[in-house]
Amino acid sequence: MSDKISFDPYETLHKFSLLWEKQVNDFIYLWTNNKEFVKMTNLGTDIHARYLETFKKNQEALASVLNLPTKSDVINVANLTIQTEEKIEVLEEQMWNLQDSMKLQGKDIESVVEVSKEIIKLTKQLKSELVKTKKELTDSKNLQLELQEMKFELVKLNNFKAEFESLRGLIEKGNDADRELTEAGSRK
Amino acid sequence: MATETPLKEFIPELDYEKEMKRWTHLFKALNDPEPWVGHSPRNEVWQKNKSILWYYPAKQKKYKIPLFFVYSLFNKPYILDIAPKTSVIEGLTNMGYEVYLLDWGSPGYEDKKIGLDTYIEKYLTTAVKRALRHSGADEITLVGYCLGGTIASIYASIAEEPIKNLIVATVPIDFQPFMGPDKWAVGMREGDMNIDHFIDVYGVVPPQLVDGMFRAIGAPVYFTNYTMLLSRAHDQRYVDKWRRMNKWTLDQVPFAGEAYKQLANDLFKENKLIKGELMIGNKKADLTNIKANLFVVSGSKDNLILEEQSKPIMELVSSVDKTYIVVETGHVGLALSGLFAKIVDQWVSSRSN
Repeated sequence: MSDKISFDPYETLHKFSLLWEKQVNDFIYLWTNNKEFVKMTNLGTDIHARYLETFKKNQEALASVLNLPTKSDVINVANLTIQTEEKIEVLEEQMWNLQDSMKLQGKDIESVVEVSKEIIKLTKQLKSELVKTKKELTDSKNLQLELQEMKFELVKLNNFKAEFESLRGLIEKGNDADRELTEAGSRK
Repeated sequence: MATETPLKEFIPELDYEKEMKRWTHLFKALNDPEPWVGHSPRNEVWQKNKSILWYYPAKQKKYKIPLFFVYSLFNKPYILDIAPKTSVIEGLTNMGYEVYLLDWGSPGYEDKKIGLDTYIEKYLTTAVKRALRHSGADEITLVGYCLGGTIASIYASIAEEPIKNLIVATVPIDFQPFMGPDKWAVGMREGDMNIDHFIDVYGVVPPQLVDGMFRAIGAPVYFTNYTMLLSRAHDQRYVDKWRRMNKWTLDQVPFAGEAYKQLANDLFKENKLIKGELMIGNKKADLTNIKANLFVVSGSKDNLILEEQSKPIMELVSSVDKTYIVVETGHVGLALSGLFAKIVDQWVSSRSN
């Protein structure tokens, strides 16, 4: 690797420039950082403003005589444009609100339709259940009638059983009498 | 007859190739047409007067809550999208954020009556509403840079719109500390210096005066940017960066007179924002009203906005989630290098759903 220095004075120039710039700026800072300078600047800007104001007034007066539009006229036109823009903005926002409320209404209607569908479904279900219940009711009525008939038959059967029992008693009595007569006959 | 000098060892060698590059680049830098800025694809969402709300779609949307950038009124916002790869906006859209940027535009003489309250109530509020509508999001993240941070903070304190996060970088909140000559500040505050009449006559403050004001505060004599360019002109990348930066620095915008007077009187002279006395329309801009998550970024090398000017916001807001960081960078470097995108992402990604 060569030890030879290459020609590059720019970095040094930059460093010196930085130093010089700083010194100059520090000098300006010290020179201007006082109340007198502030007051002088204030006076300077005030004189400048007054001079410019007079110039503008004269310009407006001259433009008025010559019937020429000035920047003040431009301001009026520009203000009208801005006002129109603002009105359009308000209208746009109102349209948004309308869109939003319509969307909301649409959603409401959708939910009402959904609920109606559910109600119809439920009504149908109830109707079919009613038919089923009616049928079951008829069946149970028939069953009740049959049961009553059965009950009646049972009562009849019980009566028959009682009669049968009494008949059986009588028969047994008859048999006993016969047996007694037979025995008496044999003894004789 | 040629003789060999014993001093030959001490004579520096000339790198012809490097020198050729240096002077060619330098010539081009000073004579070529201005560099192209603002390369990220964008759509116009809304326009009013000279202000435009831009929308930068995310490359692949990852986050529900969009970012809304509010830039300073003093400069043009293309510093946020100054060059490919170092663009803050490009970085954020690549990370999956939808970005909105409110470009205030250049006010003309007809805009002399536009004050901070008009900017906030009629421009910023409407723009945020439009961004919310456009993105379909329920909430938004406000990102304010420099004076844009002050405006975003004022707006956040009176906003009815749902602001989830508030990010402010290199933001002046307390106007008591001043970078420039202290006697000037005293003169302004004690009434030795009154520029109201001057501003009224001009209507809008011309860009040359805005530039002059910044120069007067920082460095009235400034030419080392050119010696720096000369020193590094052999490096094409540096020259390209320098040209973009130089274009942005010289590309000042006029300042609406009414807003300038409010800035000078209400904020600088009376420091109303920190006292909670600033009125925006009929609303009091009290920073204690801010409940959004807050992230404040300051630059340790910032020679325009001091750390003491940004830090007080941390104590004033009512936010529960608040973070303050200091980055080793200057006032513009944070945006110019694209570093801001990474810093914003690190904090906001977990707060953007």
